[in-house]
Amino acid sequence: MKKRILGLCMAAIMTVAMSACSSNTQTTQQPVENTEETTQTEQGDTALSYDKIVVGLDDTFAPLGFRDEEGNLQGVDVELMEAASEIIGIPFELQPIDWSMKETELANKNIDLIWNGYTITEERKEKVAFSQPYLNNRQVVVTMADSDINTLADLAGKTVAAQAESSAVDAINSKPEIAETFADLGEFETNDQCLIDLEAGRTDAVVADEVIIRYYVSKKGAENYKILEEDFGTEQYAVGVRQEDTALLEAVNAALDTLKENGTTKTISEKWFGSDIIME
Amino acid sequence: MLGALLGYIVEVSRGLGVTLSVFFMTLAISLPLGIIVAVCRLSKNKIICNAAKFYIWVLRGTPLMLQIALVFFGLPSIGITFDRLPAAYMACGLNYAAYFGEIFRSGIQSIERGQREAANILGFQTIQFYRFILLPQAIKRTLPAIGNEVITLVKDTSLVYVVAVNDILRVAKGAGGRDANTLLAYVAAGILYLAMTYIITKLFEVIEKKVQYEE
Repeated sequence: MKKRILGLCMAAIMTVAMSACSSNTQTTQQPVENTEETTQTEQGDTALSYDKIVVGLDDTFAPLGFRDEEGNLQGVDVELMEAASEIIGIPFELQPIDWSMKETELANKNIDLIWNGYTITEERKEKVAFSQPYLNNRQVVVTMADSDINTLADLAGKTVAAQAESSAVDAINSKPEIAETFADLGEFETNDQCLIDLEAGRTDAVVADEVIIRYYVSKKGAENYKILEEDFGTEQYAVGVRQEDTALLEAVNAALDTLKENGTTKTISEKWFGSDIIME
Repeated sequence: MLGALLGYIVEVSRGLGVTLSVFFMTLAISLPLGIIVAVCRLSKNKIICNAAKFYIWVLRGTPLMLQIALVFFGLPSIGITFDRLPAAYMACGLNYAAYFGEIFRSGIQSIERGQREAANILGFQTIQFYRFILLPQAIKRTLPAIGNEVITLVKDTSLVYVVAVNDILRVAKGAGGRDANTLLAYVAAGILYLAMTYIITKLFEVIEKKVQYEE
């Protein structure tokens, strides 16, 4: 009797485990369909030795790369990748990664590109090669609409929040004369949590990437928030490539040139941001 | 609100496949390996015993997340390359084997020496002694501890985020991030974890009843 129950349990366990294994291979890998356009294939004839290019992205990073309710990848960068894949003429495979591991994934050749709101910084330039920038970003200050904060100087004595390990924190620290006047700088795991804290009144202002925080503010009701005109500086997004992978870097740069020339970037930018903030 | 929560539960269920596969594969690796660890740990051979002690010390003494990252990101540098999920299975399996090993050891050691001597006198062979005298008692005594560990494992599966496979918690994080509603998505994930631990709790209650006997 005991044996039979144990046997049944084992059988049930194996079936579930097997079906679980098979179902998850479908969701983790979503190669972008590659419909080669005849007019642009000559650019695909460069000496690239790739059957497919694996692009690393954080699939929890709205609005640049995230999943819809059905689990399909979408977002600004995902659309740019799809367009770039067509121009280069090699299919892209989109591989979700944990963002804190991005450079390790690239060095280990688990992925060939980092393409997901990847900000150019001096520190990163030592580890990876950057493509030309494709998007201008600002580090902006968000407050509740009825706040009396209107300039960076007003932040003196206030509690400020930002996403931990984000370029917003770097931007704040690059202006110590302002950062030192804060009552406190709280670092949260996500921008959403920063805004929850702002709403709860524990935080007076949030510093964040403009492209990202505008998405959140619009989701939560833009009329409840205000974005200051003064900012903590500008920065640029680009695609990260292994330093020795010069052929791929050239191909990505050429693809970005074409996308900017033929207006694809403008269309994508206007669709997601309501204005063209992708660089000419 | 309730409708949105239900929507999240359905969406977050997409991570169930990864979570369950990590859960069952970890058990499949760690339970047999745990027996080996326990037997080695109890070995009279000093080298084997110390090797087992060292294994338990290292695997219990470092964070599981670190071990998963090390298997996936570190091992390729010495030529051993795992895919994302197999790396997670391997790391979780090795880690849990250390804990199960210690639980099994406590079970084996809880049987008084006198029983073995009595069995010998009654003519039991070693294998018979283990099968009919030691195992039934050891299983009964260690079941609550094993149940504890299995329930901890359900929640530890969320550590596979470091190799970026979409388990329940990572899907919830993504969905919450997309809709600027992190809290509700996390609540949905919590409900799924509770459902799983409920099933496991009930399962262990049934098993414990089955092995119940008067001592």
